[in-house]
Amino acid sequence: MTIIGLPAPSPAAHAVAFPEVEDARAWCREGDWNALSAMFARLRTVDDVYFMARIVGDLPEADAFLSDVASAQPSAPLPKVLLAARAIGLAWQARTGARAQHVSRSQLDQMHEHLRRGEQLLIEVTARDPADGAAWALRITNARGLELGQAEARRRYDRLAKHHPHMHGAQAQLLQQLCPKWSGSWESAFAFARACAADAPEGGLNAALIAQAHIEYWRELDGSERSAYFRRPDVGQELATAAARSVLHPSYRPVYGWVTAHHHFAAAFSLAGDHRRARAHFDALGDLTDRFPWAYLGDPTAQFAEHRALAAGKG
Amino acid sequence: MLELTEVDGVPTLVAPSSGQAAAGLIFRVGQADETLPLHGVTHLVEHLALHDSGLSDYHYNGETTSVYTHFHLRGSESDVVGYLGKVCAGLADLPMHRLEIEKEILRTESRSRGGTTTLPLRRYGARGYGLPSYPEWGLARLRPEDLREWVETYFTRDNAVLWIAGSGVPAGLRLPLRPGVRRPAPAPTSALPATPAWFAGDDTSVVFSAVVRRSTAASVYSGVLERELFRDLRQEGGYSYTATATYEPRGDGFATVTAYADALPEKQGAALGGFVDVLARLRHGAIDPSGVAAVRTKSLEKLNHPEIEAARLPAHALSLLTGQRNLTVDELRAELSAVTVEQVHAVAAEAVAAGLLQTPHRTTADWAGFAAAPTSSAHEADGNRHPHREDGEVELVIGPDATSIVRPGSCATVRYDACAAMLTWPDGARRLIGDDGIVLHLEPAMWTASPVELAVLDAVVEPSRHLPMPPRDPAAIPRPGAGRAAAARAGAGGRDNPGEIIAIVLLLLVAVALGVFGVLQAVIAATTGGRPLDLSLLGGAAVGAALFATPVVLLLRRRR
Repeated sequence: MTIIGLPAPSPAAHAVAFPEVEDARAWCREGDWNALSAMFARLRTVDDVYFMARIVGDLPEADAFLSDVASAQPSAPLPKVLLAARAIGLAWQARTGARAQHVSRSQLDQMHEHLRRGEQLLIEVTARDPADGAAWALRITNARGLELGQAEARRRYDRLAKHHPHMHGAQAQLLQQLCPKWSGSWESAFAFARACAADAPEGGLNAALIAQAHIEYWRELDGSERSAYFRRPDVGQELATAAARSVLHPSYRPVYGWVTAHHHFAAAFSLAGDHRRARAHFDALGDLTDRFPWAYLGDPTAQFAEHRALAAGKG
Repeated sequence: MLELTEVDGVPTLVAPSSGQAAAGLIFRVGQADETLPLHGVTHLVEHLALHDSGLSDYHYNGETTSVYTHFHLRGSESDVVGYLGKVCAGLADLPMHRLEIEKEILRTESRSRGGTTTLPLRRYGARGYGLPSYPEWGLARLRPEDLREWVETYFTRDNAVLWIAGSGVPAGLRLPLRPGVRRPAPAPTSALPATPAWFAGDDTSVVFSAVVRRSTAASVYSGVLERELFRDLRQEGGYSYTATATYEPRGDGFATVTAYADALPEKQGAALGGFVDVLARLRHGAIDPSGVAAVRTKSLEKLNHPEIEAARLPAHALSLLTGQRNLTVDELRAELSAVTVEQVHAVAAEAVAAGLLQTPHRTTADWAGFAAAPTSSAHEADGNRHPHREDGEVELVIGPDATSIVRPGSCATVRYDACAAMLTWPDGARRLIGDDGIVLHLEPAMWTASPVELAVLDAVVEPSRHLPMPPRDPAAIPRPGAGRAAAARAGAGGRDNPGEIIAIVLLLLVAVALGVFGVLQAVIAATTGGRPLDLSLLGGAAVGAALFATPVVLLLRRRR
């Protein structure tokens, strides 16, 4: 199961793809708030802020340091947002990666405790600034973890979309909620992914949501249906169009999140047996491995290597 | 202009009004002065006092609230004289022959009024300001002497204020009331160890209540809250149809702000989330100054009513009665105009800190920083333990000071010295209600405790706290295994169905008659000799007898 929707890809991959990830880690370790906040101030989009917040959220080094900064600057939103991102990291760590039925009561209690702590900080941040996209995106994840339901997750996205209609990171979070595993439906999941892809400017990552939705759907199929799914012409065509509209579009630039987008397309085309199409994505990725969506296929490292080799052969 | 005078010792506010006169006599007594075993006494007195006002052309009414009871009318000057005179006469000598009829009317009224909100009981418990959440259980035990005592304590000339909108005090107006003392509004109790608090309601709506210091800024906050809720939940979100907020002074320097939003069942999560965010926005000072200005303007416009002094008389009279500062229209206008965003922000912070949120059913608000309002007790009674007959994990503990029902991980305890009331049914069932609102319902058949052990409760709970309940339908009284028996009965198609018994008897009679006829034919044929046996007739009788006997056998077999 995808633990936090699209989880922050493995830190190793990011450190390679984005050197500033290693900087952020060092600043957290050293408690250098000035450097860290200056880096955030330089980020250009809400997606970038959200992405880096999630990176910080996976750093145990941030724990003591962020609380101190937050108490020293009670009206500053960034320390609260980062603390809330960290709370999500801790929450899913407490929950472990198990499927819902294998999570114990006390694991769930711990997880909820972390999420409630973060949520209360974010309620304040979004109350003071309803345009804080990163805070809303984190609240969409919180709505899922706290089991607040479809309508509330959707409301949070709608509040965000009023200010940031094409925030890919937030869309990926809501897409998770819209899937049946979180009491959504395939109709609403696909409708949302397609609407986000169609509405977003060309060259954005948004159309990768279509690959994500198909992979989620494929994962719930069994037997022959499952093996045949990605070979369906309509599915293949939709994926090709989505890739052409996003990471293969001339106006595409490798913004934060591009690694995950390419991995989804690479996996989807590999499953379709369309190794020729998969190759473009593997080439873009180089040696940047990632856990998802390859873990859905088996051992992530082995699956990635195997399908990349197949794609290379078809070059 | 406004004039303060006196009629028979009752402070009287008079303001000029054209057209029909209006008047109201307000007593400082209401449900919050009652106790649970007496709950309904004020309302009953109000009804009895009005009974003789008869069917007349003028419009009159009585109103019982938490802190006051109001008799008011609109009519001619002589109507005012007549109505108020009859109210006072009714109070002096309540028409006790009407007691049972009026009790019945009140029971009907409460049924037609529908469900009461549980917010008061959650905030205040089963006392004082919490009582409006409860049925008027006192009706079952109120005797004429209880009513007379209530009138003598509260319905006195020293505990009343009269207001008149018209050309002055009508000639001949008399208010023959007994002397007494002014009764201050009761001190509030609390059933909330921590605020802001939440509890889940039993429908899809969201309700928020807060007690804040009474102020003009607080009334503006209520208006701003309503605007924001309406915009977010109805206009933008489409989760709710209704979104409102009210501001009501409590009579003790504080006021209650209550906000409400309904929700479609599939949108209840969003209505709750949106509600929480509106409260947070105001609390953190993200307040749109134009919203504050709009509320201010709307309130100021209301003050432009040509007979504003007359329109404000009831509220003014209440302030006078409860000893609260009353603003003149000019003062109110000045205060309203001066209300700032910062003041509204301060009230918003105060409101959330003291807030109580009722969430839609099966939802929570712990995620938003609200503490769960208690639904169980902190301490367990010390005493003999009796297991439940159907659930071994549940135990009843009857001790010398308190009784508990203990479940794994939680318990409900009522101390006898903090027992608001004990409902008693003739079949032995008892329901203890603690001052904190905790309820213990005891069905004698469901516990291993002996009747003697249960009877201890009747002795330890003060008799004045007992509330006799009418007998219950025996079929509605729970007993062990009743669920299984009922299912079996349903499967048998009704064991005691009289139609079925009649059918069995009739079928049996026909079958027997046919059988006897057949046997007789055979016997006659044998005894008369010679004459040949009518075989077709005999066969018909036998088949007929069998045909009619078969359903009898089937029915009887099914009934075993």
